[in-house]
Amino acid sequence: MQYPFCANNTKGVCFYKKSVYIKKMSDNNSKKIIWKQPWHFPESILIVLGLYATGILLQLTAGIFNFTNLAWPVNIVIGLLSVVAVFLISLRKNSLFFQWLAGAPLSISFIAILLIQTMIMGFTPQIQGKLTTIPDFFDLVGFTRMTSSWPFVLTYLGALMALSAAIINRLRKPVWSAYAFYLNHIGLYVFLFSAGFGASDLRRYVMYVEEKAEYPEWRVYNDKKEVLELPLAITLNDFVMEEYEPKLAIIDIKTGDAQPQTAPEYYQIDMRNPKSVINGWELQVDTFYAQAVRNSGFTYRPIDMPGSAPAAYIRLRNLTTNEQIRGWVCSGNFAQLYMPLSINEQYSLVMTRPEPKRYASDVEVINSKGNIKNAIVEVNKPLRIGSWTIYQHGYDEEAGRASEYSSFELVYDPWIWGVYAGIIMSAIGSVSLFWIGNKKRKEAKK
Amino acid sequence: MNTWSLYNAFALPTLGVWIVAFLLYVFSKKTNWANIFTLVGLLIYTGYIILLWINLERPPMRTMGETRLWYSFFLVFVGFVSHIRWKYKWLMSYSLVVAAVFVIINIAKPEIQSKNLMPALQSVWFVPHVTAYMLSYALLGAATITGFRLLFVKKDSNNADLIRFTDNIVYIGFGLLMLGMLMGAVWAKEAWGTYWSWDPKETWAFVTAAAYLVYIHLRWNDRYIRQALWILPIAFICLMITWKGVNYLPSAKNSIHVYGGE
Repeated sequence: MQYPFCANNTKGVCFYKKSVYIKKMSDNNSKKIIWKQPWHFPESILIVLGLYATGILLQLTAGIFNFTNLAWPVNIVIGLLSVVAVFLISLRKNSLFFQWLAGAPLSISFIAILLIQTMIMGFTPQIQGKLTTIPDFFDLVGFTRMTSSWPFVLTYLGALMALSAAIINRLRKPVWSAYAFYLNHIGLYVFLFSAGFGASDLRRYVMYVEEKAEYPEWRVYNDKKEVLELPLAITLNDFVMEEYEPKLAIIDIKTGDAQPQTAPEYYQIDMRNPKSVINGWELQVDTFYAQAVRNSGFTYRPIDMPGSAPAAYIRLRNLTTNEQIRGWVCSGNFAQLYMPLSINEQYSLVMTRPEPKRYASDVEVINSKGNIKNAIVEVNKPLRIGSWTIYQHGYDEEAGRASEYSSFELVYDPWIWGVYAGIIMSAIGSVSLFWIGNKKRKEAKK
Repeated sequence: MNTWSLYNAFALPTLGVWIVAFLLYVFSKKTNWANIFTLVGLLIYTGYIILLWINLERPPMRTMGETRLWYSFFLVFVGFVSHIRWKYKWLMSYSLVVAAVFVIINIAKPEIQSKNLMPALQSVWFVPHVTAYMLSYALLGAATITGFRLLFVKKDSNNADLIRFTDNIVYIGFGLLMLGMLMGAVWAKEAWGTYWSWDPKETWAFVTAAAYLVYIHLRWNDRYIRQALWILPIAFICLMITWKGVNYLPSAKNSIHVYGGE
């Protein structure tokens, strides 16, 4: 006896009840007639494609999907309605429609359509915000703003409903042995639900705060560069930056390319190991000041102040001709000219601008309730205050360490807890995959 | 006292027994002694982690060197558990090699951060995120090869053991792929303020995961075994685009995942 709708053609977990299936198949056997229950791949693919086509039509007529239409509480209402609808369908006894909704053929069709759309997205540069050019075909069908296109939103929602059906189906007779199924599917559902519906309530702003300003800053910019006022204000007590040691390179004066052309060599200054070879020149760092200013001549003295830049005294020796050159180099910055060490008419030794190692802002945050929080905000170390999270965003890159302002990204995401819950469940589910492998198959084999 | 100065006293014995274990897994039929050696190494290494934890008075998970300790530990732990469960010697020996590499890196440069790591990359998530992916890529690459054997080598085409083996490494590889992605999401939230931004690399990671999901779901029914097997090379191409190819795509010119060299 074959059970083609069951795992491994055996009487294990089936998409359809055996008796129902046999009866239906006898009605619908010798030649499977499309749209006759039980539905399988052809119907699943056609329905998913139909949903996709509906999306394309909506896209062409209504334009891009506007997520603000789904803002709270519309998102939670639609989300709950979708779950309730699936749940009500599941209550019908032996519903072949529900079995189809919860089954693998529909899931695979939905995963495939999302896969195809994201693949197109992966090849097509995506546009943030509004279109600035005359829309071409790709713009019209939503390929250049994929995640805000109607077909994507509809198939995403459809996939969510199919996923909820699969979960409800398995929860009707819960068993411990299906723990990996529950963790992975419920985790994914909670994640996709929170991420998808939460997208409408997500707010991201950038705030620029000047150091030692007279008043706290509460004005922010949104992604359209409009100014808004927040119930949250920040005072910047201090902005600090640490830098890596700068690098030395030999460049072609005309092109600015580091030498050798094919595989440029750089030496990062390290006073424990002050010797190196670049492009046939042996170099030795005699003196290095991380913070220096230029004297009246071509020399430097160490001073740490806004506008100081790294400088080094270098000796060069050509390995073939033994020619020797010495002098100061400086990376330069907004306040000081850079200083190259000329080798000949074609090449110079130069110092690169140091890269940031760490930057951080010492801030005081006050919210509308008058709560005050003092903290150091830096990259990878944001500050949480209620549903808001404050991230170190940027600084005056031209001024570097001497930047007189610091910018922050302020993110309001009330759905983040759902996202984390989904992530944790999926993570445990993923680990359990190591353990179970394809367990069903193994048991079937026995 | 600096606990790191004691590191070699723990790391070298660990390395020694793991090398012996590796050789036994490769050359000996019986695995009892290899298992014992693996466990002894794991216990010594765990002892060091506990010691470090006590002396630092905080979980040793902050610096790169500290995260590498955990990576070696988890690799051998996961490899060992999978080995006991599935009897895949190759997986155990593979885990030992990669774990040993990380032990050696810590001997060579204990605790020192890589030079010029940009601030966004300075995170405890960096090592586990990347290594979960690397391990996953290795397993899914192996699955592609066994998939080809099932598809094109006549005598293998109905080899039930090989089918089971392929399924299992896809499951384990996919589990690691998901872990890498989820850790990346948590990290992205800390660093960039959003857990998912449809950056080109993220988009392709989604495509890759979706492709393996299609395989896993198609395998629910043995009727579609050949269709499922054909998904494997397609999925692996997506994986290669995610890993390497993304840097060359026009869509990725503003990717935040592309870290240029000089």
